[in-house]
Amino acid sequence: MSDTEHQPAGSPAAGSPSGPARRHPLRLALPGDLPGPFRRSFWRSPVRGPWLASVLGLLLLGGVLVLFVTGLLSYAAYNPDLSPVNDTTPGKGWLGFYLFSWPTRPEWLYQVNQGLHVTLGLVLVPILLAKLWSVLPRLFEWPPLRSPAHAVERLSLFLLVGGGVFEFATGIMNIQQWYVFPGSFYTLHFYGAWVFVAALAVHATVKFPAVIRALRSRGLLRELRVSTAGTRQEAPDASPLVSPAPAAPTISRRGVLAFAGAGSLALLALSAGQSIGGPLRRTALLAPHGQAEGSGPGNFQVNVTVAESGVQARQTGASWRLILTGPGAGRPVTLTRGELLAMPQVSVRLPINCVEGWSTGDQEWTGVRLRELARLAGAEHPANALVESLQHGGAFGRVVLSAGQVSDPDSLLALRVNGADLSPDHGYPARVIVPASPGVHNTKWVAGMTFAS
Amino acid sequence: MRALLRWYGASPLHLLAFLGCFGLAGYAAARLVPSQPLGIATWFLGAVVGHDLLLFPLYSLADRSMAAVIRHRTAELPALPWLNYLRVPAALSGLLLLVWFPLIVRLRTRYQASTTLSPSPFLWHWLAVTGALFLLSAAALALRIRTLPSERPPHTCRLGRRGR
Repeated sequence: MSDTEHQPAGSPAAGSPSGPARRHPLRLALPGDLPGPFRRSFWRSPVRGPWLASVLGLLLLGGVLVLFVTGLLSYAAYNPDLSPVNDTTPGKGWLGFYLFSWPTRPEWLYQVNQGLHVTLGLVLVPILLAKLWSVLPRLFEWPPLRSPAHAVERLSLFLLVGGGVFEFATGIMNIQQWYVFPGSFYTLHFYGAWVFVAALAVHATVKFPAVIRALRSRGLLRELRVSTAGTRQEAPDASPLVSPAPAAPTISRRGVLAFAGAGSLALLALSAGQSIGGPLRRTALLAPHGQAEGSGPGNFQVNVTVAESGVQARQTGASWRLILTGPGAGRPVTLTRGELLAMPQVSVRLPINCVEGWSTGDQEWTGVRLRELARLAGAEHPANALVESLQHGGAFGRVVLSAGQVSDPDSLLALRVNGADLSPDHGYPARVIVPASPGVHNTKWVAGMTFAS
Repeated sequence: MRALLRWYGASPLHLLAFLGCFGLAGYAAARLVPSQPLGIATWFLGAVVGHDLLLFPLYSLADRSMAAVIRHRTAELPALPWLNYLRVPAALSGLLLLVWFPLIVRLRTRYQASTTLSPSPFLWHWLAVTGALFLLSAAALALRIRTLPSERPPHTCRLGRRGR
């Protein structure tokens, strides 16, 4: 309890002895008088300090850079510049400066990119939590604002922490299909990432000298040999992170790093199988698409069912026609499913790779090459192809494929999978398969294609 | 100019770096915020408050409670970092719950309708993993106790005090 509480507020001088022990009640409290977390001695961990914060910060920085690059690549994989139909963030402006036409080779490109993005995002959660733990006393710094420069730094930290937690939270919620965020996931996660990375870039730059200083203060290899009993706190004057009243250590710095690493390892081991597939899928006990697939030809995972799509059975029955429109003035070509099956059939083994990080593993798709269909519609070298689904209202009911995607010999309008007709949930009567493309660009329940020259 | 910089409190490069940061962040935010200003502001603020003023105090409280229990139970036991054999499996289990709770507690999501997969295994998977983590930790502790030098007399545990 502060001694100033005995005085009537507003009359500091009335009858009270003057001197250094008695302070004006309205003046900013000195650190020793502050309540709870604002008092530096409130924070008691002996391992908290610039060294641990720097090591965790560097780990997180490296990981987030990979997340950022794979995230940008994932956006490029939708070919948003090809057509507004493909663009989930049409207002991006300069933020799409790097876009390029997404290739179809190597065919594992999107699977690896997206598996890495999502799995690494999960793996970094404990590193993020440990990093935030290691610097939390900073939130309660006193005085809260020392100078305009300090105010600017703290504002950027709000964007850094807010943006970081926001990006991780929206990503993790999206892969569990818990859509409670304010708007489209694509918009939030894309622009949120730029806010986060802007704040991270300046934070890393400003903190760089302090990080170097902290890392030099105790070598990593030497520190990794120190047990709990031998753990000493860093010099108290080195940083406000170092407690002036440390408790006895219950864990070493090596222990904290191993602790966070064990968290990362647990998340990795229990989720990576959904991206890698095969026998490892069963190890993904805590991942949305880790459940074993059945043995039938259509028993692999989907993310939109025919019931959800609103496509009716009467639309996909005998009356279904594929309508191919070419660049010329000629009439559209109309094909029945029987006519498509009578055309030269090609089989390819390709997976479905979802933006949510999981993949189905290779399936054997059989159907007609997209470039054959383009030729039929009178487009020898189409510049692009608009694929339209019977599905209405869905975000990806219409998709534009690039010239490279249409002309790839493995790009099919698939009619069968694993030796059987497509099941309704897998897109009967016909679906698109394009190597290395995001799952949502492998349009199901295709109604027509329009080729541009 | 010099007086202005003294007022600012850092070098002009510092100011320039932060102007760059806010420029880029503002450019992105201008494309994001107008669609749902209140919702997005709430989510950014909620992310900070949710971690710093909710999750952090909760897990710190849990950690200190664990430490208090151990401190009162280990008076006659050999000096070992008992706390970590409880702390690590509990924290890992909590971490998995934090990440996967929408599936584990079966929140109303689109999961089942979209994927045709049942969300019911996730609770059991999480419980099984939690059990396995505590068993592993117990086995590691048992091994540690067995390999303690037998000639050393047991002495009072001084570990497991407040803080980490």
